[in-house]
Amino acid sequence: MAPVIEALDLHRTYKTTTGTFRRRSLEVEAVRGVSFEIGEGELFGLLGPNGAGKTTTIKMLITLLIPTAGSARVLGRDVVDHAMWVRQRIGYVFGGDRGLYERLSAWDNLRYFAELYGVEPRRQKARLEELLDLVGLRGRERERVEGYSRGMRQRLHIARGLLHDPPVLFLDEPTLGVDPVGARELRAMISSLKDAGKTVLLTTHYMFEADTLCDRIAVVARGRIVAEGTPRELKASVASGSVVEVEVYGIEDDAVERLRSIEGVTAVTVEPRDHAQVVIVQAAPGHEPAQEVLARLDGVSVGRVSSREPTLEDAYVALVTDAPATQ
Amino acid sequence: MRRALRAVVLGGALHFKQESRNPFFLWIVICTPLVYATMAYFLFRGGQDDATLVTASLGSALMGIWSLTTTAAASTLGRQRRVGILELLVAAPTPFWLTIVPITLALAALGVYSLATGLIYVTVLFGVPVTIANPFAFCVSVLPMILSMGMLGFLFCAAFVRFRSSWMVGNLFEFPVWTLSGMLIPIAVLPVWVEPISWFVAPTWGMSALREAALGNASPWDDIGMCIALSVVYAAAGGALLRVFLRSALRRGTLALS
Amino acid sequence: MIRAVERRLRVFAFGGLLSYRALFGWVNPYVFIGVMVIPDLTQIVFFAYLGRATGIGDDTFFLVGNALVAAAIPGLFGMADTISDERRTHTLSLLVVSPASRLSLFLGRALPIALNGVAVSVIAFAGGSLILGVKIPLTAIPALVVVIAVTAFACTGLGLVNASIGLRQRESATISNLIFYFLLLAAGVNVPLALLPDWLATIAQGLPVTHGAEAARELVAGARLADVAGLLGAELLIGAAYALVGLAAIRAFELQARRGASLELA
Repeated sequence: MAPVIEALDLHRTYKTTTGTFRRRSLEVEAVRGVSFEIGEGELFGLLGPNGAGKTTTIKMLITLLIPTAGSARVLGRDVVDHAMWVRQRIGYVFGGDRGLYERLSAWDNLRYFAELYGVEPRRQKARLEELLDLVGLRGRERERVEGYSRGMRQRLHIARGLLHDPPVLFLDEPTLGVDPVGARELRAMISSLKDAGKTVLLTTHYMFEADTLCDRIAVVARGRIVAEGTPRELKASVASGSVVEVEVYGIEDDAVERLRSIEGVTAVTVEPRDHAQVVIVQAAPGHEPAQEVLARLDGVSVGRVSSREPTLEDAYVALVTDAPATQ
Repeated sequence: MRRALRAVVLGGALHFKQESRNPFFLWIVICTPLVYATMAYFLFRGGQDDATLVTASLGSALMGIWSLTTTAAASTLGRQRRVGILELLVAAPTPFWLTIVPITLALAALGVYSLATGLIYVTVLFGVPVTIANPFAFCVSVLPMILSMGMLGFLFCAAFVRFRSSWMVGNLFEFPVWTLSGMLIPIAVLPVWVEPISWFVAPTWGMSALREAALGNASPWDDIGMCIALSVVYAAAGGALLRVFLRSALRRGTLALS
Repeated sequence: MIRAVERRLRVFAFGGLLSYRALFGWVNPYVFIGVMVIPDLTQIVFFAYLGRATGIGDDTFFLVGNALVAAAIPGLFGMADTISDERRTHTLSLLVVSPASRLSLFLGRALPIALNGVAVSVIAFAGGSLILGVKIPLTAIPALVVVIAVTAFACTGLGLVNASIGLRQRESATISNLIFYFLLLAAGVNVPLALLPDWLATIAQGLPVTHGAEAARELVAGARLADVAGLLGAELLIGAAYALVGLAAIRAFELQARRGASLELA
């Protein structure tokens, strides 16, 4: 079966200019070769820190940005050549409290976009009521949006994205800034979308969110996909092996590099903790690097040393911090 | 075609609602006529006749409409961008110009407040009840006048979209259009070479149509025709410019940023 | 004492630098001429022709009035604009919570804009006189610059009042425009005081620009700086009075805003 969403080696470069009188032009590579395929009815997550390139990737897929290289298809059609065709069949929802007409009611906001999305005039009223029920805003729809809470705005956004009943949905950090209870409701709503047979691409920087919602996850860092698989697979890839934590007092970069070169070490990160730093060394299964680590830290003032099982967070941190900046 | 009409009417109505709840915009359309009608009243104190006063009230009303159109319509895209809606509008499967035209039209339509204020105020201030010689033609003239303002605003919106401070660039044209279109200053007073330029400014014809309909000296229908024809030209030019802009914005990735 | 002064100066200078950057971050010579000079020139031309149409027919009158207003606007609006910008970016409460001197804080923001206004006004004078064919005696120019600066100062005083309103009220752009229109109408800018109703002419005596415009017109007519000293004194005094009122109001409104939680009425 052909994939519903297909990204083929997407690249995107931004040109920015700085300086007042002498303009300097600067190129920023936001996305450096992203490829993935999403099948019908799948809920696929792009997980990564802020600035990793998630939003840029989504914007290319929803026809808001033309890739500098590579291509993308939605439902089999190229997003650049068939932009209008694609737009009719996708919904787009982003997080945060922008993107609404503050001085209009929820009803008017929805009605306007129903018009822009070509929802049959005769069907509009029923459709709007249906969606208001779905997102739980029924009864509040005549109030102006300026009085809405974050969570209500976000639910209104989702209703807007669903107006034309698109088979494909792009959700860009939909729970951004929503309180835990509201975020949980939103997640339930997202998972019901999947049950309704929609193909969903979700971006988030919350790991547990991706974990609970997604069928498959791609971890994005510095414009590239650094890992891809089901949540279970991603966990499995780190559930084995071991982590050594060493408390140190002042460590130089070259010492960190020495640790990285130890055989079997997959990632080294340094975190400040209280008045010291903690070096976290992750090793592949079958390697116990503790001895070697201490040996290579010769000359560095060392405190407590401990060994533990890796967590999913270790995997994520390792993936997004150790991704090579250029290649 | 029916879809386009629906988009314009419904979109226009909703944007009219949204924009008329903006106190600053309302203030512009209501206050500008008051200020300029008052100024004209003081300045004209020498020899005032009813026709001059009626023209001054209509003129100051149109000045209010143009003022809002330059400040708000020319920066339409910037304002939609600031509230995070521009991308949603672009991502919708409706042609972009069809999304933007109702917005600039709605802003120009807010000018009905200007017109009402101008006429009422002048009646109260000058003590001259404004009589409209040809009420039917007057009412009909209001529509092409609003159309011409909205389309000029649309043209500016498309032409200046690349300027970071498009509202400031819009402001550039506040006084020139006021001067050129005979709103408060009769075109005859201007240098001779200016007159042909004013022929290409659609609001000139809108103003002329309203004046003729109100005073009953000449037929307003030619003016109405010119007004509509120029508006169509503006719309076509604006639409073409917008298309170019949109493609380049998608390519350069400047839609969401400034 | 000296440290306190130094701190105020630093706040003043740093705020000035910020607004200078904000102002000139996007201004290049083309934009400067396009966005700052041309609107003023078109305004001068508009009113001069309105004058001709209404039979007043004195181009000098309108040139002087409107060129002077060009210098007045920045001081008048700059600080209120700053406040509403800060409100928009949710940094207003951060400013208010800081222990910095309010005068330094706001005035620092206003100064570069006001100086820029003086420059624009001088260019508007020159350009407008070229377009309208109004002869300004070369010897009058230094004195004119003084008048422009004094008028800009007086308007900055009123600008502080405007800024205080901005602290209290979120539609500060509306108030700013109201003040601007009122000056156009009543401060002897576009309507000779003799044509105003008596009550309005009386109010005009207490507005900035009124005396400055009169002084500038006398200078263009051939008077020397010493001849208009009285008018300049009045303009200065008016500006200082507004500044005091503005500062007191800022203090009072700040307190009120903290009580009434209206600072972040974004």
